[in-house]
This record gives sequence, structure tokens and C-alpha cells, in this order.
Amino acid sequence: MSLSRLQIATDILAAQTRAGEARACRAHSGMGAGDAGAAAPLALGATAVDRCLEGGLACGGLHEVRSPLARDIGAAAGFVLGLAVRAGQAGRGGRQGVVWVSDPAARVDGGGLFPAGLAQHGLDPSLITMVEPADLQGALWAADEAADCAGLAALVLQIRGNPARFDITATRRLMLRARQSGVLALVLRQSGEEEASAAATRWRVNTEISGTDDLDQRGVGAMRLSLTLERNRTGRTGHWFVAWNPQTRTFDHAAPTPVLRSVHPAAHSRHRLSATGHRQDPPRTMGQVLDHRQDFGRAS
Amino acid sequence: MRIVALDERARARGLRRDQTLGDARALAPDLDCRPADPEGDRALLLKLAGWCERYTPLVALDAAAEAAGSHGLFMDITGCAHLLGGEAGLVADLEARLCAQGFSVRLCLADTPGAAWAMARHGEARILPEGAHAAAIEPLGLSALRLEPSLVTALGRVGLKTVGCIARLPRAPLAARFGARLLQRLDQALGREAEALSPLMPVAELSTERRFAEPVSQHDEISHVIAALAAGLIEPLERRGLGLRRGRIRLFRVDGHVGELAIQTARPLRDARVIARLFEERIAGLHDDLDAGFGFDLIRLDVVHADPFAGVQADLVAGAGGGEHDHDALIDRLGARLGTGRVQRFVLADTHIPERSFGRLPAARLQPGAGRGRAAAGLALAAVPQDEGLPEGIVTRPLILFERPEPLQTIAEVPDGPPLKFRWRGVSYEVARSEGPERIACEWWRDGRGARTRDYFRVEDSQGYRFWLFRHGLYGRETGEPAWYMHGLFA
Repeated sequence: MSLSRLQIATDILAAQTRAGEARACRAHSGMGAGDAGAAAPLALGATAVDRCLEGGLACGGLHEVRSPLARDIGAAAGFVLGLAVRAGQAGRGGRQGVVWVSDPAARVDGGGLFPAGLAQHGLDPSLITMVEPADLQGALWAADEAADCAGLAALVLQIRGNPARFDITATRRLMLRARQSGVLALVLRQSGEEEASAAATRWRVNTEISGTDDLDQRGVGAMRLSLTLERNRTGRTGHWFVAWNPQTRTFDHAAPTPVLRSVHPAAHSRHRLSATGHRQDPPRTMGQVLDHRQDFGRAS
Repeated sequence: MRIVALDERARARGLRRDQTLGDARALAPDLDCRPADPEGDRALLLKLAGWCERYTPLVALDAAAEAAGSHGLFMDITGCAHLLGGEAGLVADLEARLCAQGFSVRLCLADTPGAAWAMARHGEARILPEGAHAAAIEPLGLSALRLEPSLVTALGRVGLKTVGCIARLPRAPLAARFGARLLQRLDQALGREAEALSPLMPVAELSTERRFAEPVSQHDEISHVIAALAAGLIEPLERRGLGLRRGRIRLFRVDGHVGELAIQTARPLRDARVIARLFEERIAGLHDDLDAGFGFDLIRLDVVHADPFAGVQADLVAGAGGGEHDHDALIDRLGARLGTGRVQRFVLADTHIPERSFGRLPAARLQPGAGRGRAAAGLALAAVPQDEGLPEGIVTRPLILFERPEPLQTIAEVPDGPPLKFRWRGVSYEVARSEGPERIACEWWRDGRGARTRDYFRVEDSQGYRFWLFRHGLYGRETGEPAWYMHGLFA
């Protein structure tokens, strides 16, 4: 009798331990009930990208977007602002505001956000608060504060290069705060290298030749981006061509149309065709003119 | 060179003002003399006036003394004396502290500023009882009335040498001969005419302070005091239905230095914890730490500006609708630490010149909720601009705009067409596609006659980079060699 009671007690204890472990696991992976980040993920709109991300970006979390060259900043800003628009739209308790924190090093180029351009991009300029601290330390502090603020839709921290102070500890702090508050925290790294960080995903954004313009053969068409998911916590990476649609406020897949541009064969050079992520297979050699990017919707 | 000011010991050796330096050196060979520094003296006087605000918020500079080449301050201590043990206590405390700082002062407390001025400079009494000022100044010389020296001399010539003489004479002939100024000064001294003091600092709407027998200098102690002061403000704010918009902390150091920290909030605030936290951020944002020196013996929290506080109906669903509020609180915190000028929002201006079409104002200065479409500061707030006749979804404006357009070297097919190639920041780009021109005329009413028209082109290079360029000046009409500039980057 006493033995069986002891057995039962042990069983109960074991069950409790298992439950506790499961809770801890859930909490660790950010899926705990208390986390605002466990809310619905933020879909980009492009089906293949969303499928690869298993529904979309984790809303309360840190994501890094980097542009390899300084002149790619336009494309990267377009992607980041598109995400911010979607984060404000997703109807998450009336969150709308976007805080844009920029490090002084990122401002030396002299470029700033242009309200008229923002409006055409689909973002109401009056929702943006620009924060321009005098040093990187101030910028990191401001980003931490903003990531804590549950009333925000998105936070963008614009930095340049790979400053030592913005290390894995700083990114983890940002990540944890964003997860608590549910803010979509984005790091816009201008001309930076890949670097270990606590970010849930890391994207590389390059500009891509625009789509055709139906009205004017020589005109500039709708913008397109070449998007590479370089790192993803949940595993899969990939490469896509997307276009931001300011009307529907979604990212759409853009077919890389094989436009022949007699003057500029460089447009079809191999390295421009297939930027791989961390995929195993290297890009195959392509013909001179033919464009085989029919697999634009494919996730690796 | 002449002596402008001297101390008691020099006076005891027989020196006096306006003496030449040579004479003074002959009398006192060991004389220590410095060149006069009127600006430094004035700065010191202003600092001293700031320090005197520990006794009363109404401290004014003495313009009459300044005109005569000496220095003085007026303080209106109505309703303040009881805090320091009555008038005698206040005067004793003030004198002791000023002497400890190394000043030699003469002070007098009287019913009117004029009488106090006269007694401080020409009389002996330090505190005149109520109503005694008229009798007290009667025996004094006329220079005690803050009159110009020429007027005093003129009055002396006709035998009028004391205040009492004039006070008993008929007024009309006096005014006719010596001007209305004389009677005005007399009436001000006697209290027949009110004299307003204009305080140096705007008087706070509310203030609360704490004095310490033992000066505090530790950071935690100071923040503790600030939190306690903020808590003490809440009740009076509630009673008046107000909320804090601008506040300041004044830290009175033992040696007379007064530190000041100001905060500004985006919406009326009535939460002690938040107020204290904003000051914390302000202190943390200082480049050098609070210079506590030997410690602060008085810390005061002023509400410089307050606005009616709109009560908020709490939502039944916890957390819902609090977003906007959180956002404003964030702006306050960022502004307190980084400086309000570094936290900005866009406001739109009514012009087509791109770099002038918007401005950035401190977010805390915009009205609460201004981000949602109310006008502020004379500029229309960002109502989404849509070019007329342009289908939605067409992008004509870049996301990134350069504050100063950057010069380009270009090759164009024809002088008034789009460029074929251009060089920007040391890199060559080949233009694959282009759209334009979009012509934006200059604003002749601002830039004058010589200003040039801009032709904007949206171009894409062979690799897909999209730029916003413009040609400055119309070829053949405004200039023979139009210059090209880079102005923005598209997504």
C-alpha cells in the first residue's frame, strides 16, 4: 500500500516535471502564452516567401535587413518600409506608429526619408517619428526604448557597417524586448557584412531591374527587389524576386521577364541572375541571353 | 586709468572711486588691481539673481543702480518670508549665505522697492517695520530717490537736500520745474504709486521644493528627492485640473551655482512616476554627470507650463487603446534623454521644391495627436499628397532624398534630353531607361530673378538602380551649360 502510494507520488512528480519542462521549452522558443510575439505572424503577401517563413515574419521579433552596397539603400529602405506598413496594417490593437532610429554614421551620406515618397509608398508620413541621436550608444538606447513600447507597429534601427557595440548581446536585448512588446523590430544595416546576431531572420536586399512599363517602352516600370533570406531561425532560406505594391500594400512575386536590352548585356550577366543564399547547389552556368528564372516562386 | 570699484579695505586706506590708478598706487603701493570687466560683472549678477530665486520667484535686476555703475537686485518676498522663520530669519539667512560666497552686501527690507533701495544704500536699518518707511527715508539725501545726479545737483542748488524737504512742498510747482520723474520716484518710495518688478525668469505655475540641512550629492539621493517632489505635485495639479507640459528642476549648489534641467512632454502629464522618470532620462543624457560639487542644499521642481488635463476613460479591455498613449510617453522619454530636437516628425509645407516641401519639427512641440492630421506651427501636417490626375500606385517621388543635391558629371545625347551616362560618387552608371522631364519651376518670390528651373528625370541604370536626377537650368534660355544633380533614390 505504502509502496503504491509512493509510486503514484513519483508518477505525479514526473508528470509535473514533464509539464514544467514543456512550459520552459515553449517559453524558450518564444511560443509562451505571455509573449505578444506569439500573435499571428506577419505575412509579406508573396506566397512562396510566406510558405518558406511558415506563415510570415514573427511580429514581435528582431529581423535584420542588409544592403551590401551603399547605393542599395533605396531598395533596402523600400523593403523595410513595406514591412513597416504591413505591420501597421495588420490590425494589431491599433498599433500604427513607426519609429525610425538612425545612427550618426548612417546619416553621413546625407540621404533622409522623403515624405512625398513615403506617401506614394503607402505609408502616411505623419506616422513616422525620426530619432537621430548623437552617437551609436544613444541610438541603441533609443531602439531599446522603442522596442519596449507596445503602442508601436514597427521600429527601424538604421546602422552602417558592423559596429562592435552592436554585438550579439545588443541584438539579443533588442530581440527580447520586441518579443515582450510585440513590436516588429527591424535593423537596416547599410553596407554591412554578415554577422552573428540574435535576429530571427536576416535578409539581403538588392535592387533589380524594374518591370516593363506598358505605356512607355523606355520608361521605368514598377520597382522590383531581389530578396535573399540568408538566415532563418526556423530553418529554410531562399531567394525571390518581389515587387512592392503600394495600392494593395503587399509584396507580390515579380516574374523576372527576359527583357532584351541590346545596349546593356551586363543586365544578364550570370552573377546578377542567381544570388544564392546558403544553398548547397551553386548556380549553374547560363546562356548568354536566355533567362531561366522561371522558378521565381520556388523556396529552397 | 581710473578706479571703478573697490572694497572696504581699500576704502579704509583712503582710496575712492574715480581716482586715477597712479594716485591710488602712490597711496597704497601694494594695491591689487584688475581691469574692469562689466560683462563678467553682469553675468555674475545674473547668476546671483538665479540663486536668489531660492527665496522668491520674483527677482528683478536693479536698472537704476546699473545706470549709476553699481549693482543691485530687487526681491519681492511677499508671502515667502514665513518659510524661513519670518523676515528677520530670511534677511539673516540671505546675508549669511551671500557673505559665505564672498560677496559684501547691503540689504534692506521695506514696504516699497524705492524705500528699500534708499535704505540699503543710504540708511542704516535692515528691516523697516510696516508703515515706517516714510519716516525712515525723510532724513536721507535726495540721491536716495534713484534720481539722475544732475537733477540732484539742481535741487541742491535751490536748497532742497533731503527727501523730507520735497515731500512737504506743493507738488505742482515741483513737477513744473524739475519734471514728473522726481515726483514719480518720490511716490514710488513712499508707496503712493505702485512699482512693478519684472522678474528675470518666467514665474512657474506651480513649484515644490525641498531644503536640506546637510547637502545631498549622491545620484540616488537626488533621484529619490525628485521622485518625492514629483509625487507632491500631483495633488495640486489634480485640484486645478492641469497636467504638466514643461517642467524644470533647479538644483541649488552650496557654493551658489544653480543647475537647471528641463523637460517637455507631448501631452499633459500627471503621473509622478513618469515625471520622475523623464528627469532621470534627462540626467542620464547629460554629457558630463551632474556636477554636484559640495552638494545641493535646495532642490526645486517647477511646473513652467501646464495644460488642461483631459481625463481618460479607462478601457474595459486591458491594454486596448493605450497604444497612442504609450507612443507619446516614448517620445517624451526619448526627448528627455537625447534632446527634444532629436526626436522629430514630418510637417508638410506648401511648395513644389522637393527639399522645401517638408520640414521636421520636434515631436514634443507638435500638439498631442498631431500625428493624426491636425495643423501645427503654421504648416499643414502631412495629409497624404496625391498629384492630381496621377493614377494610384504610380511612383514619382523617391524614398530617400538628399538634403543637398549632389553634382554629377553627365553625358547626354541632346542638351535638353535625359542623360546617357553619369558619374556619381566616383562610380559610372549607364542609363538604361528614363522618364521625364518633370519640370519644377523656381520660386522667384524667394530665390530672386536669377533662379533656375529644374527638370527632374527618373532614371534606371543597367543594373536596376533607380535614381532621381535633375538638370538645373533650361538649356539655351537660362544657361548654356546646365548642371546635373542627384537628388534621390527610389526603392
